[in-house]
Amino acid sequence: MSGTRKSFPHWLRSNSEHYLLQDSQAEIAKARGLPAPRPPRTLKDRFWRQVFAPVYKKLPLPVRQKAIQALPGSHRKDWPEPNYEKRKPAI
Amino acid sequence: MTSALDSTDKLLGTGKRQVKIVVVGGGAAGLGAAGAAQGANPDAEVVVYTEFEDVAYSPCGIPFVHGKEIESFDTLFLATKEQYVESGIDVHYETTVTSIDPDTRTIQVEGEGQVRYDRLVIATGWLYADPGVPGADLDGLYRVKDIRRAMEWDKVLDTTKRAVIVESGFIAMEMTTALRHRDIEVTLVDPGPWPMSDVADPEIVEPVRQSWEDLNVDMQWGNKVTAFRGSGSLTHVETEKGEVVADLAIIGTHKVPNNPLAEAAGIKLGSTGGIVVDAHMRTSVDGIFAAGDCTEIPHGVSNVPLQGLSGSRAYSQGKTAGVNAGGGSREYRPVYVPWGMLAGEWMLGGVSFGETTAAALGIDFVTGIANGITRARYYPGVKPITVKLLADPTSRRLVGAQMVGGEGIKERADFLSMMTRTGITVDEIATMENVYSPAIGALNEPIAVAAQNLVAKL
Repeated sequence: MSGTRKSFPHWLRSNSEHYLLQDSQAEIAKARGLPAPRPPRTLKDRFWRQVFAPVYKKLPLPVRQKAIQALPGSHRKDWPEPNYEKRKPAI
Repeated sequence: MTSALDSTDKLLGTGKRQVKIVVVGGGAAGLGAAGAAQGANPDAEVVVYTEFEDVAYSPCGIPFVHGKEIESFDTLFLATKEQYVESGIDVHYETTVTSIDPDTRTIQVEGEGQVRYDRLVIATGWLYADPGVPGADLDGLYRVKDIRRAMEWDKVLDTTKRAVIVESGFIAMEMTTALRHRDIEVTLVDPGPWPMSDVADPEIVEPVRQSWEDLNVDMQWGNKVTAFRGSGSLTHVETEKGEVVADLAIIGTHKVPNNPLAEAAGIKLGSTGGIVVDAHMRTSVDGIFAAGDCTEIPHGVSNVPLQGLSGSRAYSQGKTAGVNAGGGSREYRPVYVPWGMLAGEWMLGGVSFGETTAAALGIDFVTGIANGITRARYYPGVKPITVKLLADPTSRRLVGAQMVGGEGIKERADFLSMMTRTGITVDEIATMENVYSPAIGALNEPIAVAAQNLVAKL
């Protein structure tokens, strides 16, 4: 069973999310002496873990944010902005 | 709204045609939308279509009935079918909507033909991701979701000897404990290195792993199911590391949006596969709203759209969509995702990012951890609790939090969610006041101590 066929942005998002999480888990596991996640096995695994993930992490945050913002989605529609201004007491 | 009348139109006393609001889906979002639409426009005709025999029950409660913590499935229903009839919401059960035509503002319904709408709310929910291995159509594979099927499966569990849990999603985690409470041998197979590794940090989930070890759960982290085998019914599960004999497999893969209907109608989908909506839950098509797990909602901290949130958010989004479909005005907000659950003998929870997810996205953060207690140390029933906070080192605002403890997780997750949303700094959190009362709270609040530890690192 699957929901919908994958568009390019959907394919990009699901793969990048999956492999960036694996990369993050591997780093955390290594730092804490825990068992590592499954190592890359296929060509696809190797591309996303050994090429995409390191390149993504080297990009400056504003570039990564711009790339994420460029993907189609609800985040590009109108949503209320957070209001971080100092508030005064109720009375 | 179209003004021409057709044979199915109903007229109001003024001679004007009654506005027709159609909802596709009878879960939390769909019923939330139907009730809110009727509240916003009492003159409207509100119709709900669902493929299932029931509406508005709590699927999240199913594992606890299986585990015998809850006596009966009946208690999971929020309202009876008669109550919906009395409230004027016309629910069409076991009825499939096969297509949407936005140009004519009609839908095709099996057994009913073409049905007109003035405003449509899509609330088609979610499905379990396909495990993508052979044998997924065998008998003996249980996807915990539909309450009628759960009632049938509950009888099967009486004779089940061995089960495999396929990946540690939220409901699967609860099912792991539930099956052990039924004395069923459980093997948990998950490609991640620790439980819920796509959401939770290892030290947060470690007490859960230990409690499953105490319950004799065979945990196979870093392993992957490669096939379900059997002749008609499941007899064993093949994995990368060998075979597991099992007469039941619980599919715990992640949620995917159930959107073939919306996609075929030309409604825009986002990078998660969820329907693109704005704060009013409007889709890309005029007159069509969407709510719940079939949509995607921006994350308040990162602005990354998220899909597959919990029932409480689906219900709120449904109410927002329903009010707006009824002619009112209501806005939903970006989400900060407070979450919580019972796993093993522990409560887990959090807000927004943990260390694993923040690092994956490449967000800068500093952590502060505190181990505390939930009541005065001498008060009966006192439980340990660990709070881990993550803050941005520049703005000093919260990026996220994770917790594990014996009690008090839900309230702290809700509280930290509002702290994240309002942009309170960790310096302010470090000086927060807290309730001290031996039976319900300790002298030191672990959130404050975690914030103090975090501030010391900045």
